[in-house]
Amino acid sequence: MSQAQSRFVYVSYIRATPERLWAALTQPEFTKQYWSGVSPISTWEKGADWQLVLESGRVADTGSILESDPPRRLVIQWLCHMREDFTAEGYSRCTIELEPMGDAVELTIAHENDHPNSPFIYEGVGTGWPAIISSLKSLLETGEVLTMQ
Amino acid sequence: MSTAQTRFVYVTYIRTTPERLWAALTQPEFTKRYWFGVTMKSDWKAGAGWEMMYDDGRVMDAGSIVEADAPRRLVIKWRNEWKPEFKAEGYSRCTMELEPTGDSVKLSVIHEMDVANSAFINEGVSNGWPKILSNLKSLLETGSVLMAEKI
Repeated sequence: MSQAQSRFVYVSYIRATPERLWAALTQPEFTKQYWSGVSPISTWEKGADWQLVLESGRVADTGSILESDPPRRLVIQWLCHMREDFTAEGYSRCTIELEPMGDAVELTIAHENDHPNSPFIYEGVGTGWPAIISSLKSLLETGEVLTMQ
Repeated sequence: MSTAQTRFVYVTYIRTTPERLWAALTQPEFTKRYWFGVTMKSDWKAGAGWEMMYDDGRVMDAGSIVEADAPRRLVIKWRNEWKPEFKAEGYSRCTMELEPTGDSVKLSVIHEMDVANSAFINEGVSNGWPKILSNLKSLLETGSVLMAEKI
């Protein structure tokens, strides 16, 4: 998918260790706090299934783990089920990289698919990740998530 | 400049007020702390000159204020002055928007230029803003920055 046609990249620096940030990205007790009640369900091993489940129990996204190298790199094959037009675009690929820098971690999220001008990438993911990662950074640095409307 | 050929957009949510965030974006005593020693000189009114300086006094970027609607919207005409290939691309435009939401402010930074594949936007600005704004968010939420010097 190096020829991805739509791509959203978001970089954030977070005061945490890679291990703590990896846990915050993969464990439901963390994600529920900063990600509007969402829980990811997976064993996080290469080839394993992966799901994002809303607080209501509805499955929002499904896919599988393409690569997993804790606490450095995670690649998820990701299909959204929340909007028909998003589902019709097919699988996207989300690459999450954690690189230690001083007392912080550089977190890079690259979310892409092969659909030109993808509404899922630019409207869905492109507006979702900044809010999710901002709240995650606040949780890890201050102990409290953000309250957004 | 709706025809901008190269554009970088970064959005972050910060637990603060628009007034406090506006001050942090414009006042040297704040910028020095999270922007790796950088200070800005301007009276922040439309048409006013604008300069960004390193802590040794060298001018890094210069331009003027295109729009200023404190504490909601700021548009800066912005040219890099220290790297010849960046300077040769001419003026970029940086739009900052502050929108309150819940206990936070949504800060959007849109930095764009009418040059295809602009090196200033794709190499300079795109690497700088995530570090600067992550540092700013930490400063406003915790009282201390993440990185005192650029890594």
